[in-house]
Amino acid sequence: MGVLDHIWLGVVAVFTADPIFTLAGLPFSTTIMMVVLGFLGGIVVGATPGLGGPFAMAISLPILISIFGFEPDALLPVLGFLVGIMKGSTVGGAVPAILFNTPGTPDSLMTTLDGYPLTKKGKPGKALRIAHFSSVSGDTFSDIVLITCAPFLAILVEKFLDFPEKAALIILSLAFVSAVVGRNVWKGMAAALLGMFFAYIGTGEDGYPRLSLGTDGLAEGLPLISAVLGVLIIGEVFKALEDMWHEMREKSVITNIKMKGDQKLHFSDIRRIFPFISISAGIGTMIGALPGIGSTLAATLGYATGRKVYKGDTPFGEGAPEGVAATEAANSAVAGANLIPVLSLGIPGNVSAVFIILATESIGGFNPGPQVFSLVPDQINQEMVYAFGLFTTMIFANGLNWTFGGVFMRSMGVMVRVPKQRLLPIVLLLTLTAIYVQQTSMFAIYITLFFGLLGYLMRKLKISVLPFVIAFILANNLEEAMRQAFAVTGSDPWFLLASPISVVFIALSIVVVVFFARNQKDLG
Amino acid sequence: MQNEKWTVGLAVFLVIAAAATLFIWIPNDIETGVVETFRRRVTIGDAMAPTMVAAALLVVSILMGVTAYFGGRQQKHAAKAGLDKQSFTFLLRLTIAVGLGLGLMVYTGPVIVDIINSFGGEIGTYRHLKAAFPYKYLGYVLGGFFMVFGLIRVVENRFSASAAWASIIAVLVLTILYDVPFENLLLPPNGDH
Repeated sequence: MGVLDHIWLGVVAVFTADPIFTLAGLPFSTTIMMVVLGFLGGIVVGATPGLGGPFAMAISLPILISIFGFEPDALLPVLGFLVGIMKGSTVGGAVPAILFNTPGTPDSLMTTLDGYPLTKKGKPGKALRIAHFSSVSGDTFSDIVLITCAPFLAILVEKFLDFPEKAALIILSLAFVSAVVGRNVWKGMAAALLGMFFAYIGTGEDGYPRLSLGTDGLAEGLPLISAVLGVLIIGEVFKALEDMWHEMREKSVITNIKMKGDQKLHFSDIRRIFPFISISAGIGTMIGALPGIGSTLAATLGYATGRKVYKGDTPFGEGAPEGVAATEAANSAVAGANLIPVLSLGIPGNVSAVFIILATESIGGFNPGPQVFSLVPDQINQEMVYAFGLFTTMIFANGLNWTFGGVFMRSMGVMVRVPKQRLLPIVLLLTLTAIYVQQTSMFAIYITLFFGLLGYLMRKLKISVLPFVIAFILANNLEEAMRQAFAVTGSDPWFLLASPISVVFIALSIVVVVFFARNQKDLG
Repeated sequence: MQNEKWTVGLAVFLVIAAAATLFIWIPNDIETGVVETFRRRVTIGDAMAPTMVAAALLVVSILMGVTAYFGGRQQKHAAKAGLDKQSFTFLLRLTIAVGLGLGLMVYTGPVIVDIINSFGGEIGTYRHLKAAFPYKYLGYVLGGFFMVFGLIRVVENRFSASAAWASIIAVLVLTILYDVPFENLLLPPNGDH
């Protein structure tokens, strides 16, 4: 079976498997419905200040697994929903930024700089249309790069990297994420090491589960979902509640702005903003492909580069449509590209990718990594079918975004009225319930709250949580790769330096840490 | 100076934790060594990965502490890090709201069943009733309500009827969301009984 057969099977799996109903003779599959629901939900969540894609992914994942179960058939509907949320929340995030000067997520902060002045000038409709067009363009470009690059990169990895090189590559990725994310390299590294250490509790090959203190609760290991959702979501909820408690909630007055003049997006507008979209889409895609560097930096760099090349009358920061375009194209272009390290290397680079990994780990049948794209003569590689199914859902979600996304997005201004201080306690209960129904143990809730407290403390001490989460996920893969590498090199203690490629990876790890330690600055 | 103090304090804590893990926890709580020899074949033992991580954490924490102590003066404009008195007050209130909610969630059902039994109801144990209406909802609804309402109360610093209604509706919606469509799902704490 060739690559084209696998692509076709992936497309067929998305569009025809498990149809819910038929419309004009065309089957409407479960996966397609889940992409649509995820996409619409993602826009709503993105448009709600204080929430964002990761929140929605975290809450929905256990519910989705409850609905679809743990069989591989569940993969595409669940991944389709998560992809929908990822895409929807990216465009939805611009709504409160443009209409109310309230960035729903850090990525949208730069959108407020020109988006809100455009609203004040009576052009909110035009600003939203520009944001939508730029966001979808950047996202589409990024997806094209993902679909064309990830398989080739995976094939190269599978061909040239053996166990020692794979272990060295994981070390390089962890070093890169620790060094680049956050304000302090040493804090980033400490977070990653702590994440690895917690992952080793209750695991191992010996009959006695290591570091379990003789307790039954720890003997099974710390549940991945408790650790990830605890640090990422519960920690963020605690921190956000404290911030609101400090502020005693500002009385946000929603001003009704009257629209003045032409609100449509014309071809002349597109021609004007297109160079900025192109530059920012390139920047966002490059940044997205590197593990650990998020869309906030992409938005900042896209905006800064746009300002440098801009020669228009309205300065950036005073309502220049090009400013909105540069920011939105850059932060949206991160979305697709950040799946490149996941699918080609099995290494999650950001929070959305973490949830894709979490879904595949929970369900089984699909282990993102270089083996996904390996061809077996006369056989179907089911993992490759799922990968192309995933790409199909991304393309379909982009199609939704181009056609209906703009209209739905422009109707979401009302979400800014949702009181955050009432929403977040409900998110907390929802997350704890979702974890309980999956783990059926109060111990899992206590572990989640422990990790929530840890996530809160890390945020208070300005320690980035992303290295912790990524290290927790990769820790056992690294140990397994090291055990295998040690075995295949005949118990060579220097197995990490056994080949030129692994030497380069280890040397790069050291260079990255030393470089960023010498030039400590906030890139997060 | 607050940032550096917190970073140095964190570094000291991590150094102590890493050293204790390396020299006390790992030797006493892992049954295989760093490497294992079985029939002349040497393999990596279960202690290898945690030992390497704890050792690396020890080194990184020392570097974190040293750089924060000597380089702190250069970071005048760094964002404020650390916990203040207000943070501890908030944490205490948060713990009370969440703890009360969880306590009610875990104990309400069994305690009510015990009370009914003690008054001669003879309805059996909570374990037998964990899937029966209304017992299966008692803990989740009451505990969930107090958790959500308590946290809203903490943040808004006042009791309000609208917050109570929002909490009741949220808990009921979550109960319906999980319990009605899925027969095999158990709301907390029923899976533990």
